Amino acid sequence: MHPAKSYALSASPHTIATFRALVEAIVPNTPELAPFGAEQTIGASELGVQDYMIWELDHTLALFFGMELTNFPLSAPTAGMLNSGAVQLVASGHAQHVPNESLWETSPYSAIAPPDRIRVLAMLEELIVDLGALPPPYRDDGGFVKFIVDYLVRGTMFGHYSEWSAYGTTRLDTPTERRLEHFPIGWRQAGYPGVSLGYRALMGFPLTIVRKGGESTIV
Amino acid sequence: MYDADVIVIGSGGGGAVIAKELGEKGLKVLVLEAGPFYGNKKWQNPNSERGGEWSSSYNDLDVDLYKKTYNSYENNMNDVVSGAFRFGPADRRRDPWHRVMKQKGDIWQVSGVGGTTQHYWSQSPRAFPSAVDGIWPISYRELIPYYEKAEATLPVQFSPTTPKEELFYYGAKKAGWTLIPTLNVDTPGYRPNPNAILRANEHLMDPNYSMEQLSHMEGCTLRGHCVNGCTTGPTMDKIAKRGTLVSYIPLALKTGNVSIRPNSFTIKILTEHDPKEGLRATGVQFRDTWTGEIGELKARTVVMAAGCIESPRLWLNSALPYNAWVGRGLTNHYFDWVGGVFDEKDLMSIMGMPAVYPYVGHTSGARVDIPGIGIFQVSCLSPGLMSFLTYGFSGAGFDAFNPPEPGEPWDMRGRVVGPELKELMMNYSRTMTMLLLTDDEVQFSNRVEVDPLLKDENGPIPIIHYKPSPKTLQRRDQLARYACETLQAAGAKKIIRSDLPTGFLLHLESTMRMGFVVDTNCEAYQVGRLFIADNSVHFNGIGGPNPTLTTQALATRTAEKLAGKYFDQPAEIVK
Repeated sequence: MHPAKSYALSASPHTIATFRALVEAIVPNTPELAPFGAEQTIGASELGVQDYMIWELDHTLALFFGMELTNFPLSAPTAGMLNSGAVQLVASGHAQHVPNESLWETSPYSAIAPPDRIRVLAMLEELIVDLGALPPPYRDDGGFVKFIVDYLVRGTMFGHYSEWSAYGTTRLDTPTERRLEHFPIGWRQAGYPGVSLGYRALMGFPLTIVRKGGESTIV
Repeated sequence: MYDADVIVIGSGGGGAVIAKELGEKGLKVLVLEAGPFYGNKKWQNPNSERGGEWSSSYNDLDVDLYKKTYNSYENNMNDVVSGAFRFGPADRRRDPWHRVMKQKGDIWQVSGVGGTTQHYWSQSPRAFPSAVDGIWPISYRELIPYYEKAEATLPVQFSPTTPKEELFYYGAKKAGWTLIPTLNVDTPGYRPNPNAILRANEHLMDPNYSMEQLSHMEGCTLRGHCVNGCTTGPTMDKIAKRGTLVSYIPLALKTGNVSIRPNSFTIKILTEHDPKEGLRATGVQFRDTWTGEIGELKARTVVMAAGCIESPRLWLNSALPYNAWVGRGLTNHYFDWVGGVFDEKDLMSIMGMPAVYPYVGHTSGARVDIPGIGIFQVSCLSPGLMSFLTYGFSGAGFDAFNPPEPGEPWDMRGRVVGPELKELMMNYSRTMTMLLLTDDEVQFSNRVEVDPLLKDENGPIPIIHYKPSPKTLQRRDQLARYACETLQAAGAKKIIRSDLPTGFLLHLESTMRMGFVVDTNCEAYQVGRLFIADNSVHFNGIGGPNPTLTTQALATRTAEKLAGKYFDQPAEIVK
C-alpha cells in the first residue's frame, strides 16, 4: 500500500506533461468563451485534472503477484502508450499540424497539436497502430488499449465537470480525507447549483398507484 | 453443527430481499456482504477502520452516520476507482476489485450493504409480459403476486412531474405516443416511471416548511440525487429512495432473525455428498477484507445473491460441477444515451421556464415503453456524470472524425471534445438526456468466466465479454431513432447520440439462467440446497425493463420455495 499523495506526486515530468496534454485537448482553455463569463475560459489542465488522471490510473489495478496483492500503477505505461501513438502518427504522415520540437523530447504527445492528440486517441482505439511498439501492459493487447483509451476521455470529463478540483490542497489525499475548499469551477461552467436539499418543483402526478387489501389499482 | 438455517451471499437488490423474507418466516439467516455497511453504529468510520463484525439489530442503524457518508457529491460518491459507491473493499485507500474487460466500457456495480441499489435510480417496472410468457419456464401470471408484494414493500409509486418530465411528455405526445396507465405493459406508450421512491412530501410546495425541515421528513424533496445517494428522510428506513439498504435491510433486521456481516468476501461454496440428496451445499468460506482472515460458516441452505458476475465466479472458483451455461447468456440491455439541447425561448413557450433543470426531480421520472424493442427514459444527472455519458463515452469514436450522414435524426454521434464540448456543457441546464434500454437477445457467447492466470485476494478474477447480436443492434438503432424523434418533437435544437460502448454494463442479467443452471424454484440443478436470488437467474433481459423489481419479486418467491422445501413452511402468497 502506498500513501496516495506521495505516489501521485512521484510521477515523472514526462508522465505529467503527457497527461496535461491529454486533458488540455479534451477540455481546453477557451478564451473565445470569455464573453459568457471569465470562468468559462478555464480548461482541465488549469484545474489540475492531469493529476486526477494520474492518481486514478495509479490506484485502479491490484492483482496477486507471487504471494502478495500488488498495486500496478498504470499512469506511466499509459503515458508511454500516448507518446508511442504520437510518434506513430507523426511517422505515418497523418499529423495535421507540425509538432512543437522543443517539447518532443519530454513528451511527443504534448508536442503535437490538440486535434492531433485526439487523432492519436482515435488511432489507438481503432488499433491502427503497431501494438507491439506500445509498453506493457498494453503491448499486443488491443482489448485493453480500447478500454483504457475510452476511459481516458470520460475520466477527464468526470474529473473536470465533477467537484474533484475543488478539493484543492486535499485533492490527492485519500478520498475520505478530502475537503471541499470552494465551489467547483466545472459546476459553475455548467450552471449547476450544487448539492441541494430539495427543490419546490412539483408539477403534479400523472398517475398514482392505490393499494388496498393486497391489490393495487391505478388512478 | 449449523451456524444458521440459511446463508445469503450478498446484500444487494436480491440478497436483502430474500434475507428479509426468510427472516419473517422465522428462519435464522446470516448475510455475508463483501463491501461496507454505511449508516450503522457498528462501523463509525466504515471507509477507514475495520469496526465491528456483525450487525443483528435494527437499532444499529443510524441515519446521521448514513447522511455523513452519503454526501451527494458526485465524485466522492460515484468515482469508479475510489468513490464511496464502487466495487471494491470498504477501505478507500485500497484499489477496487478488478475485472478484465477487453473492450470499451465500464461495469457500474457497487459493493456494500444495499449493493448497486445504493446508487440505482430505482426504476421498478415489471418485465414486459411478452418477454416472459411462452419463453421463461414460468409464466408472467406466476410472477404477478410477487411483483405486488415487492411493490408494496418497497414501495413503488409513479414518478411526479418536474420540468424535465413535463418536457419529455410534451415531446412524447407530439411524437405520437399515448399514455399507458398500467404496470403490465402489453402495448407501446408513455408513462411516469414506476419508481421505488416515496411520494413527494405533501408540504414540499408550502414555503412555511424550510428545505432543511423537509429534508428530515418523510417524502421525496425532488433533490435529484438518486444516483449520488439519497438522504431525504427522518430515519434510515424512511429515506425517500428505496435502495435495499433503507428498505429491505431495516425490515430484515426488525425480524430479529437476520445478522449481517459486511467486509466479508465469500470465496468458496462448501459442499458434501449426501447419500439421499446427492451433492449439496453446506456452507461457505469467506475472507475478511480488513484482516485477510478466512472464516467458515455452515448452514442448511445457501443462497447466492452476489450478482451476475460474482455468482458465476463463485461457482467456478468453488469448482462446483461443470455446467456449460454457468456464466453464459449475459444480457445487458445494450444501452444508448441521447441528449437534446434546447433554446431558452422554446422552453419558455412550452413550459414557461427558461431551463430543463436536469438536476431537479427523480434522476429518471418518465419513459416510453415499446415491447419488442425496449425503452427510452428521461434521465438527467449531475454535470460530471452527464458530461461523460453524453460526450465522452462511445463505441462510435469521435464525432469530428465521423460526422453523421445527412438525414439522421441526430446532429452528433460519438464523443465530442475540445471547444465544442465546453460550449455544449455551458448549455447543461438546457439539455435533456435519455437512457435507452434495448430488448437484448440472449447469446451463449456473451459471458462471465474466470481468468486462468490473474488472481486477486479473492481468487481468480472474472473476465467479461459482451457483444450484441444483430437483432439487438437493430432494435437499439430503432430505439435511438424513436428517442431522437421525441427530442425533435419537443423542439431540441441540437441532438447528440453518444452511442455508448457495448461494454457499459449496468443491467447485467441471465448468467445463471432459470432452466439451465437453476430450476424454476431457483435452486441449482447440480447442487442441492444452493439457491440463487440475483439478476443472474433471469431467463433473458425481460424485454428491456430495468431488472431489479423482477429480481426482488423472484427473491420473494424463492424464499417461499426454499422454506417450503427444506423448512416445511407453507407458501403465503400463492393459495
